Amino acid sequence: MDYTKQIQDIAARLFSEGKIDVFIGYRNTGFDESQVPVLITQYGDVEKLVFSDKSVFNLTNYLKYEHTRNKRVGIVVKGCDSRALNLMLTENQAKRDRLYIVGIACEGVVDEKGVKAQNCTECVMPDAVVYDELLGTPAGKREYTVNADVKALAAKELTERTGFFEDVFSNCIRCNACRHSCPLCYCAKCCIDQESSSLYNGSNTDSSAFHALMTWSLHLAGRCVDCRNCEKACPSHLPLHLLHKQNEMVIYENFQEHLAGMVPEDRGAFYKYSLSDPDDFIM
Amino acid sequence: MSFSTYITDKAGLQKFYEAVIGKHSTYAPVENFGKYDFKKVADLKECDPDSPIAGTMSIKPLFFPKSSKILKYKATSAGTEMSETDGDPLAEKRVILGAKHCDARSLQVLDHVYKWDYLDTDYQKRRDNTVIISTRCDKAGTHCFCTSLDYDMENLDALDVAIVSGDGGKIYLQARTAKGEEFLKGMEGGLRTADSSASEEMKKQYKSFESSFRLKMNYKEINEKLQKRFESEAFEIASSNCVSCNTCAFVCPTCHCFKVSDEKIKDEGVRYKSYDSCNNVYFTLMAGGHNPRPAKYRRWRQRSLHKFVYYKERFGVNLCVGCGKCTVSCPVNISIFEVVNTVANS
Repeated sequence: MDYTKQIQDIAARLFSEGKIDVFIGYRNTGFDESQVPVLITQYGDVEKLVFSDKSVFNLTNYLKYEHTRNKRVGIVVKGCDSRALNLMLTENQAKRDRLYIVGIACEGVVDEKGVKAQNCTECVMPDAVVYDELLGTPAGKREYTVNADVKALAAKELTERTGFFEDVFSNCIRCNACRHSCPLCYCAKCCIDQESSSLYNGSNTDSSAFHALMTWSLHLAGRCVDCRNCEKACPSHLPLHLLHKQNEMVIYENFQEHLAGMVPEDRGAFYKYSLSDPDDFIM
Repeated sequence: MSFSTYITDKAGLQKFYEAVIGKHSTYAPVENFGKYDFKKVADLKECDPDSPIAGTMSIKPLFFPKSSKILKYKATSAGTEMSETDGDPLAEKRVILGAKHCDARSLQVLDHVYKWDYLDTDYQKRRDNTVIISTRCDKAGTHCFCTSLDYDMENLDALDVAIVSGDGGKIYLQARTAKGEEFLKGMEGGLRTADSSASEEMKKQYKSFESSFRLKMNYKEINEKLQKRFESEAFEIASSNCVSCNTCAFVCPTCHCFKVSDEKIKDEGVRYKSYDSCNNVYFTLMAGGHNPRPAKYRRWRQRSLHKFVYYKERFGVNLCVGCGKCTVSCPVNISIFEVVNTVANS
């Protein structure tokens, strides 16, 4: 999966036609095979752009920062990224007519060791679902699967599950890298930043970390697209997907097989209320 | 003042580790979710004192934990009662095994600020009661640049005992401070006094270590150039892909900013001191709503200049030890080495 040439050509074309102000893509770090996101603002820099199976980070995250606000943006999106983008469009965090979207029919990305990322092995939609131009051969939607770890944890008793997450989250240093790396966490003032709140209070204690992460995961329930930006960002290497995947599983089972962002104008599972909504999964 | 050097081999070193853990309250790198954290250990099997530099977190949490209690308070009809918190678990006499040289250096850097206008007694107590045993790396990590900074890596005296490998499986244990000297004297068995070839072999090991570095810079040049780059646009370009989380500061062994917050239920509460970061947009938010550093590049400028200009001006040392932990942990792999070099040469 190497679309370096195509992406460079597209970016060069867009800049020379004056269609975009900034192009969000990936560049090589230069010291090993890893890549970093790059925001390109001029024609002369397009040769920095690369794309391969090392292009891991979900770039739609950059649509929430000042560098792209009110600008015409070119962006590269893989399958999961495009689902996040669909939600951002629905939630008015990006304007479609200001975006030029280069979609990728993704074959999966790899981690530092060259092993295919876990979320890619269980990806439901590898092809970009919203794009102006698609690179690669679409593979189509796949069957929804959940890995054994998530299932095993979901089968546990509530107290046991709580204990598990308390243990995991006691390693959290509350750097908030998970939240800042999540494209769907765009609130101007996040509730877990409320210093005066007795639940979150910014004191970095184990209980504040537990409450902060639990609240965060519930705000993403029905919206998370399993791109795992959060998990890859975590300096403590916490298995945050266990939290999001459980939410996703519960929603898939209870809300007509709802998966976030699969179609344009998609509204997260919890956006609408109906009297027939199931409630037997609620604690 | 010269200190003793002892010689042993691989098996002897393991025995030494076991003896240390058996005799002292010991903190060592313990594997935790695919990386190493410093934790209290009771057995050598639990930990790996020779953990790789890239995957090991710093020893900062043992001196400046992510959150620590300052005081307790209770509101009563007669007024507010305040009391000291329970004992400090980090203040006991202890040994840190498997710290890296850069980690040890970071404490030397932090000492300046903790002993400055206000003496932080908690920090001081933790520092005085700790013996640091540190292994000198054989090879640099991808993001390491410790040898390019303003300290003598070869004869670093920020640690108490240095473990350096020599030729043919030989391992040298060298006391670097009086505390280290005393500590090694107290450890019996397995250690023999090294002969005169030790210093030469250690020099040789240092040379091979030094040649393994990918990143090299001249810190004096960086210090000088950065002084004139306050208005540089390069900060904006270099920081454009930053996601403004706090990771770099929290994992940094020298970042020491903190915030004070209360955890309270009804009329009782505890006041905590916990990590804060200048990369956080709320860091400079004032009562009344003004924020002098609302933009990302301004926060990056602060971070870079604090490390390589302001701290240097005030205390004479860089607020960076070149461990590369920030780069390893950064969600988008931003390298502080790259940023300061790009800005300095812009």
